[in-house]
Amino acid sequence: MKITRQEGVLITYALGSCIGISFYDPMIKLGALLHIMLPEKPAGGDTNVFKFADSGIAETLRKLYAFGAMKGRLVCKIAGGAKMFEMKGGGGLGNIGDRNAMTVKKVLMANGLRVSSADTGANYARTMLLDVQTGQVRIRSVGKPEKIL
Amino acid sequence: MIKRYEDISVNGLDLIREIGSIGNGTAATALSSMLNAKVRMSLPNVRVMDFNAAQASLGDPEELVAAVLVELVGEIEGIMLLLLKQEFMDEVAQHLLNQSNVDIMQLDEMQTSALIECGNIMISSFVNAMTALANVEIQLSVPQIAVNMLGGIMSMPMAMMGYHSDRIMLITGEFRIDGKEMNSDMLLMPDVNSLNVLMKKLGVS
Repeated sequence: MKITRQEGVLITYALGSCIGISFYDPMIKLGALLHIMLPEKPAGGDTNVFKFADSGIAETLRKLYAFGAMKGRLVCKIAGGAKMFEMKGGGGLGNIGDRNAMTVKKVLMANGLRVSSADTGANYARTMLLDVQTGQVRIRSVGKPEKIL
Repeated sequence: MIKRYEDISVNGLDLIREIGSIGNGTAATALSSMLNAKVRMSLPNVRVMDFNAAQASLGDPEELVAAVLVELVGEIEGIMLLLLKQEFMDEVAQHLLNQSNVDIMQLDEMQTSALIECGNIMISSFVNAMTALANVEIQLSVPQIAVNMLGGIMSMPMAMMGYHSDRIMLITGEFRIDGKEMNSDMLLMPDVNSLNVLMKKLGVS
């Protein structure tokens, strides 16, 4: 998770089944970019909160509010959650991207936030960039024009 | 019993390296007879790294690669992945399809299935060698191909291991065809418990 204010571009590279979640408060030009890998943090044990959607979003919001962000002003955008391989047989790993996307939306909603735009699913990786000066979120992927989210 | 990759003993690491070495050798032989070319694989490199470092060790996250992935289920669980770059695709197209200049962005059906078959043969040979050596049962998923950013492809094995570990074990081998460097890797990424199974079966504590 990266957080910064006023200026700079936050980047998370090549999101596959992972999800990138950008948070931006335009009033104070405060932005955060979170990169989660899995939906739910298992009870106990794992200390890396930013790896999971539920604990990662909670911790990112805690930091943002501590830096003065207001819930009503926060703009959230998400990207990633692709299915990189069409898995047949094996352990059902293929749909992890979908599960990530669903959990992220659910957790944001439970925190009183709405996803203002999203670019999720399909079968390709995405690089996500958040420009903290303007709040603009861009998505880069292979063989496609850059997309503004 | 170890619970984290980094707890593996020196003997355990030697064992994994030996399995990798036999596997790589078998895979190289299989590819060699398929392409009718000289294939050499390097000695395996066994590394335990956190996710970011593991990804960085393989290349730029946005680099375009072709990957053939097989999931291992059974007594040994994990993922085997073949990361193929342009050089490898050119070589395969030349030997199997008599074509030159493969465009990685626009692989046709024949090129795609040739790459999948290379992956299938190399990975199956590696796994066969491992099952014979350690007397374990492993089922393989149908091999799947993706052509995309390296980082996105690596998110699959990392998500699979992510609930149990912040780190990943990479057993890698690089290969050369007819003396040419392919810049491509074959990777075995076992889960932590598979290491226990292998050590127990082969009598290493």
